Amino acid sequence: MSSAEPVRTPTRLLGSRIPYIEGPLKVSGRATYTDDLRRPGMLVGRLLRSPHAHARLRSIDVSAARAMPGVHAVLTGDRYPTPFGVLPITHDETALAVGKARYIGDIVAAVAADDELTAERALAAIRVEYDLLPEYTDTHGGLVPVAEPIHARVKDGSNVQKEVLQHFGDVEAAFAGAAERVHVHGRYAGVNHGFTEPLVTLADATPDGRLTVWSATQVPHYLHRTLHEVLGLPMHRIRVVKPEVGGGFGGKSDPLPHEVICAALSLETGRPVKILCDREETFYTNHGRHPTENDVRIAFDAEGRIRAYDIDALIEGGAWSSFGTVTTYYNGVLSMGPYKVPNFRYRGRRVYTNKPPNGAMRAHGGTNIRHSVETAIDIAAERFGIDPFDLRDRNALPPNSTTVNDFRITSTSFRRCLSEARRASGWDGKFRRLPYGRGIGLGCGFYISGSNSPIHFTPKMPQCTVHLKVDMDGGIAVHCMQADIGQGSNTLMAAIVAEVVGVDLDRVHVIPVDTDVSPVDIGSYSSRVTFMMGNATRKAAESLRDQLLKATSRVTGHPVERLRVATERYEVAHRPEVGLSYLEALHAAMETQGALVATGAYSSPPMGGTFKGARAGTAPAYSFAAYVAEVEVDPETGVYRPERMWAAFDCGRPLNRLAVEGQIQGSIHMGLGQFMGEAMDYRGARLMNPALLDYKIPMPQQMPEIEILLVGDDDPEGPFGAKEAGEGPLIATLPAMGNAIYDAVGVRCVELPLTPDKLLRGIERREAEGRAWKGH
Amino acid sequence: MAWTPLRFRVNGHPREIPCPPERILLDLLREDLELTGTKRGCDLGTCGCCAVLIDGRPTLSCLTLARLAEGREVTTIEGVSPPQGLSPLQRAFVEHGATQCGFCTPGFVIAATALLRDHPRPSRAEVERAVAGNLCRCTGYTKIVEAILATAEGR
Amino acid sequence: MHLDPFELHRPATVDEAVEMARRHAGAFDFLAGGTDLLPNYKMHLNLRPHVIALEGIRELEEHGVERIGAMTRLAEVEGDAALAAAYPGLLEAVREVATPLVRASATVGGNLLLETRCFFFNQSEFWRHSLGYCLKADGDRCHVVPQKEKCYATFSGDLAPVFLTLDARVELAGPEGRREIPLAEMYDAHGDGIHRTKLRPGEILCGVRLPPGARSWRTTYRKLRLRPSFDFPELGVAAAARFDGDRVAEARVAIGGLETYPTSYPSETAALAGERLTEAAARAVGERIRAKVRPVRNTAIAPDYRKKMAAVFVRRALLALSGGAAA
Repeated sequence: MSSAEPVRTPTRLLGSRIPYIEGPLKVSGRATYTDDLRRPGMLVGRLLRSPHAHARLRSIDVSAARAMPGVHAVLTGDRYPTPFGVLPITHDETALAVGKARYIGDIVAAVAADDELTAERALAAIRVEYDLLPEYTDTHGGLVPVAEPIHARVKDGSNVQKEVLQHFGDVEAAFAGAAERVHVHGRYAGVNHGFTEPLVTLADATPDGRLTVWSATQVPHYLHRTLHEVLGLPMHRIRVVKPEVGGGFGGKSDPLPHEVICAALSLETGRPVKILCDREETFYTNHGRHPTENDVRIAFDAEGRIRAYDIDALIEGGAWSSFGTVTTYYNGVLSMGPYKVPNFRYRGRRVYTNKPPNGAMRAHGGTNIRHSVETAIDIAAERFGIDPFDLRDRNALPPNSTTVNDFRITSTSFRRCLSEARRASGWDGKFRRLPYGRGIGLGCGFYISGSNSPIHFTPKMPQCTVHLKVDMDGGIAVHCMQADIGQGSNTLMAAIVAEVVGVDLDRVHVIPVDTDVSPVDIGSYSSRVTFMMGNATRKAAESLRDQLLKATSRVTGHPVERLRVATERYEVAHRPEVGLSYLEALHAAMETQGALVATGAYSSPPMGGTFKGARAGTAPAYSFAAYVAEVEVDPETGVYRPERMWAAFDCGRPLNRLAVEGQIQGSIHMGLGQFMGEAMDYRGARLMNPALLDYKIPMPQQMPEIEILLVGDDDPEGPFGAKEAGEGPLIATLPAMGNAIYDAVGVRCVELPLTPDKLLRGIERREAEGRAWKGH
Repeated sequence: MAWTPLRFRVNGHPREIPCPPERILLDLLREDLELTGTKRGCDLGTCGCCAVLIDGRPTLSCLTLARLAEGREVTTIEGVSPPQGLSPLQRAFVEHGATQCGFCTPGFVIAATALLRDHPRPSRAEVERAVAGNLCRCTGYTKIVEAILATAEGR
Repeated sequence: MHLDPFELHRPATVDEAVEMARRHAGAFDFLAGGTDLLPNYKMHLNLRPHVIALEGIRELEEHGVERIGAMTRLAEVEGDAALAAAYPGLLEAVREVATPLVRASATVGGNLLLETRCFFFNQSEFWRHSLGYCLKADGDRCHVVPQKEKCYATFSGDLAPVFLTLDARVELAGPEGRREIPLAEMYDAHGDGIHRTKLRPGEILCGVRLPPGARSWRTTYRKLRLRPSFDFPELGVAAAARFDGDRVAEARVAIGGLETYPTSYPSETAALAGERLTEAAARAVGERIRAKVRPVRNTAIAPDYRKKMAAVFVRRALLALSGGAAA
């Protein structure tokens, strides 16, 4: 079956609601996370962090700490100074600070000791002399040359880490000839992933020259590679194991300093070492969503068609690059879809500051800019007097088209997202018709279904490989380095195997990620797993199925083309009574070769333009969304509540409805958090709220009633027609809320989070300006 | 050491274990008794991952001195799980997809177990209030609340 | 997160507890539910070498409509139908405290004596060291109001405002014997902000007494915060009133979450007596109180907003009391 052929095969398991296969372990406390592991002779690793935001390390005296009984190793930055980073082009992190500390919480020393108390006393005995340097805490100040740039590799002596300039078409001309121009200035606080399992790593360097590392990571492969690069061990002597992971959302996708340090301490001591970061340290490690300030200008023609975007994004990087170069591109290139934009100009700048690094967080690079764009479109609709649904429909990207920056759009059911959300929400009876204080709003979304431009040794290697092994017991072992961090990818992988091979789900065992046995997959980020792992798994499963069909053919004497897969059975299509059970077929196949093995891999097809940065944002498929939120605002206090949401989402064919729903519900919750109250609250360089009490993740009572509308057509290249549903579902939440609040009280929401005090200020400003809204 | 061993019951069995006064119950459970189903999420009482039952009362083990459990019955997630299979509540969590990463799940199961024992037919609002001390970052709570309600309704 | 070693004492009676407190004067903390003290200990805030646990002292745990022992768990108050019927405002406030898991341990006394809170205080040792320690723990300056030698940390208990409006009294036991004082007099409005109460050294809060008339008051509690659980009050307004027909016989308002101690506003509410509780009357009280409160910037929500909301919440709380008053 060619990969481009639309898949319409009826499925037995896929498309239903498949409970997570590891669920029974998780509900009974028997699932094993990294901190649940211990090794004989294990030491406790602890980190000394800089109390200064920017300071040269004049001296570090560890002699007293090293001499303490029970202390087995003390590390400083000079021991393993090789820089690393998730992007091969921006290796600017080190395991421990080398030369200077760049944020409050930067790691300057580490100890391994017999117990927690000894480790802490050892940290207290380390003497560090700092020479304080100027602190850079805002992006604007970092755009110009500064006395002491945070990193050596910056633009013209400033703190600019990355600048992206793109121009397609003729934006000046489009704006000059526009019938309507809309400008939105958006400001977004940084947010953190807030996963419940704190960062933790366990490492065991053994006398056979091998190093085993268990870590709460989303990308075991990058950790594997980084350990090799920094510690100098060949990759084949390093084994990375991923136990259950208590949430990631992007925050466990960079190789992180404590992971490298933990391994280094184990190498130094020859003992197992565990480092468990507390919640405050987890917040300092951050790599969360970038604080952003953006200017979005959109030009429309007289019919409300988008003529051009002119976008400027100023992105706060924090102390390291992390995924930042990608972020800087994404803020531009992900701003266009789901709309057709014929002319496009973008400037994105990411600026280092002396704060914890920002990186990738769910719907990375596509969230803040989307909120500004969707607000702008709502403003335009109002000015034109066109319904927001109609205006968006008019601008929808068509299927099988190419964007101005050479994105290949294949499947899109965006227009059906719009029509379904409109119908289900009762929009036409509500928009601008609800009483003052009640409002309804529309926001849309667009996201990559995996990146076509993988961070990899070489782009020629597959992005995912899956191995299957089945022996005489009939159990099918699945090996793959894709990282289930709670999203249900293990379940989906097992279900695809069961579906294709025609066996019961419980015959399939997903082997936990272990680089010794799992073939490479580049991990859980960029919402790539369903699409890429799904395709690779399908190929592997088809190869296994074909071996079983061949054996059935040999035994029954009927050619393979006449056979079909039934439940736990392979039979002749026109004579179903003739056939073999799964085990009979398996054992027949094994007669010639013993245990069966099969492999499958996925590489995304070539795509994208040839200009600089052309591959950023290219993906084998894209998700689309149209969300409607209905809110109630108390205009006297600014306190508001999302009451209902209608989430129309195009993830192609949903393969596990339970998981897709869970991803959408969880995404809405996370998007609401960013909208309503979550913020990395800095005063200067200092994080004021590194605690779950003060970082305001929403509670159950704050959740709206959610109606999910899965409207996607089968994607031509997705596994069984599926596309992503892990990250894109977050995006539309924010603008749907913002536009609903506008409908309720006539205040535009372009500074997030929108805490009640801010909304009340907006209402008061509107009143002071004499702009009445719904008679108030 | 001046202190006597701590004597209490854990998951139905008497235990006697050395325990200094400053020992936190969560640490004792996870490190000394290897009951690692009880999770450490924030260590400051603001995530609910460490909830256990003390004499049937859902309690934050990270903010409880272990010695104050002297003579009491502590039930952890391991203790609310039947030896074979799952409790109806746990089965509902699985069937409704109420776990994703699963790290908060033991705390939710503990809180919901106590709720359903005391209020067998709670309303949705009562369920939401009862689990409002447990943070979940994956599910948006929707399926957790559904699973608890389904258990109550015998679905 | 381990705790630094301390000695743990388990008195069986109030007298024993008082004796232990006397013996370890200045070097101990009482431990009630632990949900306030232990997070602070984990953050190395004002550690003491002795901890006197009050759990298990029966006198402190008894509770009824007239007297609530200080060690009564908030969850028990929540589950006590008689208490809820007698003081609906108390039930409202209790249900708003922290989370159900916290309320299972947290106590009435602990809530009344809650350590005041501040962004610059409720932080780890590392955090505070990094900025420079503050007046309230290990340091000599206030990061909120640097020119003052006073602590501005915020009183964040939810129960005190309700009890204040009910004219509750507190029973104290200490080395100098037992005494009973109005709750309002327990808080020290003129101190340094750090020693927030007028409890004498070693004194234990044993219980709260509610005057017999308290049951004839209507009470309510309104709490401002970002989330419906977990969060401490950014403003907590308790209102209570007695009615004489459709007119107010007497009304009281008390507020927490704004300043270093919970405060009653007798002169701002006095004008309500003998009047109908109209929108305009309630609004006027709100405005008068708003003019008086002085929140500072040391919590999640900006002080000007909290001040503004004081007027709104007071008005709404008072009007909620009048609901059905005319009937």
